[in-house]
Amino acid sequence: MSANEVGTPALPRAPLELGTALEPAAYATSTVLVFRYSAATWNTHRIHYDKAYALAEGYPDVLVQSHLHGAFLARYCSDWAGEDGRLMELGLRVRRFAIAGETLIVAGVVSALDRLGDDRAAVTLELTETRASDLETAVTGTARIEVPIAWLADTGLEQPA
Amino acid sequence: MAVDAALLAALESEIGVEHVELLGEISAVAIARYAAAIGDPNPLYSDRAHARSRGHADVVAPANFVAAVINWSPGAPYERLREDGTEADTHLPGVPAQGVRVMGGGEEMTFHEPVVAGMTLTRTTALREVGERSSSQGPMIVARYQDAYRDGAGSLLVESVRTVLLR
Repeated sequence: MSANEVGTPALPRAPLELGTALEPAAYATSTVLVFRYSAATWNTHRIHYDKAYALAEGYPDVLVQSHLHGAFLARYCSDWAGEDGRLMELGLRVRRFAIAGETLIVAGVVSALDRLGDDRAAVTLELTETRASDLETAVTGTARIEVPIAWLADTGLEQPA
Repeated sequence: MAVDAALLAALESEIGVEHVELLGEISAVAIARYAAAIGDPNPLYSDRAHARSRGHADVVAPANFVAAVINWSPGAPYERLREDGTEADTHLPGVPAQGVRVMGGGEEMTFHEPVVAGMTLTRTTALREVGERSSSQGPMIVARYQDAYRDGAGSLLVESVRTVLLR
């Protein structure tokens, strides 16, 4: 769960089959991280940096941006795919808020495998992002990632009609 | 203004209307700062030589970078910011700047081609779907907006469909 070595597979990839659970990754947040994310995305909403405002809105602290949740999911997928894979699609829905300081744990389970050609396949992952503080699900998502077909347990997968 | 038949009708007349904006040139430093903010050390995002060795013209943006930027304008003057700190231009054509509570209902992104520093991007935004839903807090409108990000040559790079809940 530490920072990934460049160019090396950080998470185990093969052999993939339906139901394969990928190793989770943890992303720690902080008020500084959340502020820098607001700055990098020109997000001026006070809910992300003004604690008094967040308290008045009924939250215990400033909130992690929905796009930052998306960034963690995208990073999880991109790190897993590495240079041999490619993130094609990512969908997400924020179910519960997360506050700055929360550690968010992203995990993925293979829910579909499709052949894309002679040597490529698409892996669909069902993603969850969990608050480490109470193990409640903050975000659910789905990703579709193009990978070498050699990553699949059954490389004889038929081309879809 | 509340969520009512008039707002629903106004939104329905907005369906399919495409709004094209020039977002400007994507700089290497904007990409590197985004990656630094997330804490992502991938050299594709910050090291030009590394990105070039992987076949890109310059550093590559993390997948959801362009969809995550809230506002591409130079910024509104302070007197035009709302109480919550946001700009009145909410990037939701048809939704009034005041009086409607907007909640995120999810996002679906499709990544066609990498966004690379030096590209000049345009964004085409269109409302695609509008529907009504009743909730415990009263009537709600569900709207789905599509954003298409293209490079200067018109190649489609990223698509994002945002679902927003209005009440």
